[in-house]
Amino acid sequence: MKTKMFLVLLVVGAFCAVQPAHAHHAFAAQYDPNKPLTLNGTVTRMEWANPHGWIYMDTKEPGGKVKHWMIETAAPSQLARHGLKKADFVDGMTAVVKGYQGKADPGLANGRTLVLKDGRKFYIGSVGGPNDGAEPQ
Amino acid sequence: MLSIVPTFAWLEGLAWTTALRESPFGYPLIETSHVACIVLFAGLVIMMDLRLVGLAFTNAPLAQIQRRLFPWQMATFVPSTATGILLFCVDPLRYYRNVFFLAKLVLLALAGLNALAFHLKTYRSEGWDEDPQVTATAWLAGAASLLLWSVTIVASRLIPNDWFK
Repeated sequence: MKTKMFLVLLVVGAFCAVQPAHAHHAFAAQYDPNKPLTLNGTVTRMEWANPHGWIYMDTKEPGGKVKHWMIETAAPSQLARHGLKKADFVDGMTAVVKGYQGKADPGLANGRTLVLKDGRKFYIGSVGGPNDGAEPQ
Repeated sequence: MLSIVPTFAWLEGLAWTTALRESPFGYPLIETSHVACIVLFAGLVIMMDLRLVGLAFTNAPLAQIQRRLFPWQMATFVPSTATGILLFCVDPLRYYRNVFFLAKLVLLALAGLNALAFHLKTYRSEGWDEDPQVTATAWLAGAASLLLWSVTIVASRLIPNDWFK
């Protein structure tokens, strides 16, 4: 009986471990997987914060108007695992972010990849985004 | 009107709240403990409530169940609250205007008042435990507790979604 119980717990535990650590809110609740975007602009500020980081970016609209973006990133532990450091962000630096548009807020985006001026590329997406191949294998 | 915003801004800017907000392991550890303690707490409260509404342990005296569960309820409530306060301190400006967070506070207060009324009045009234059939007030306290704690948990789970800003 005890052995049986132990085995059941073991199997349940194994399934829990296989499930990827879920982001604390669903991607689909706030972002549109059908609206991918590439943002090329100036990083005005980076919030290296839990439970999500935020990149604040200014891009130039076709008419020359500046647009402010708020781009959600993964948590610090995940960013660090993909090789990023807080010190990689310097206010005023240029960068390219690929991601997805927010559903309600036009200035909101979910970041997937970040390319710095020196060419280094990082995955910054949180778990639960669309399967678009951006995630490192 | 005196604004609380500067106080929250000050709290958010403190060295230890900033360190926790930026920490790779500290924050996830507190967040996980918060949820784990709530799961244990809610489970213990639900067992008492199910007894009160007559769905579980019906052949055991109510007072006995209460006596056994209560210390464990408190032992899980205290760390739940402590970790919750910590999580708020890390990001007060984000939470204070979050609809679901405010709803959670109101629901917590209601659930707390319900529990307090039960413990101070019903639980201490004579004969509440003798009849195998629970008194109406005790049944009501159990039903209200089940409802309030469930809704509190749902509201809490919705906090991360900043649908209304």
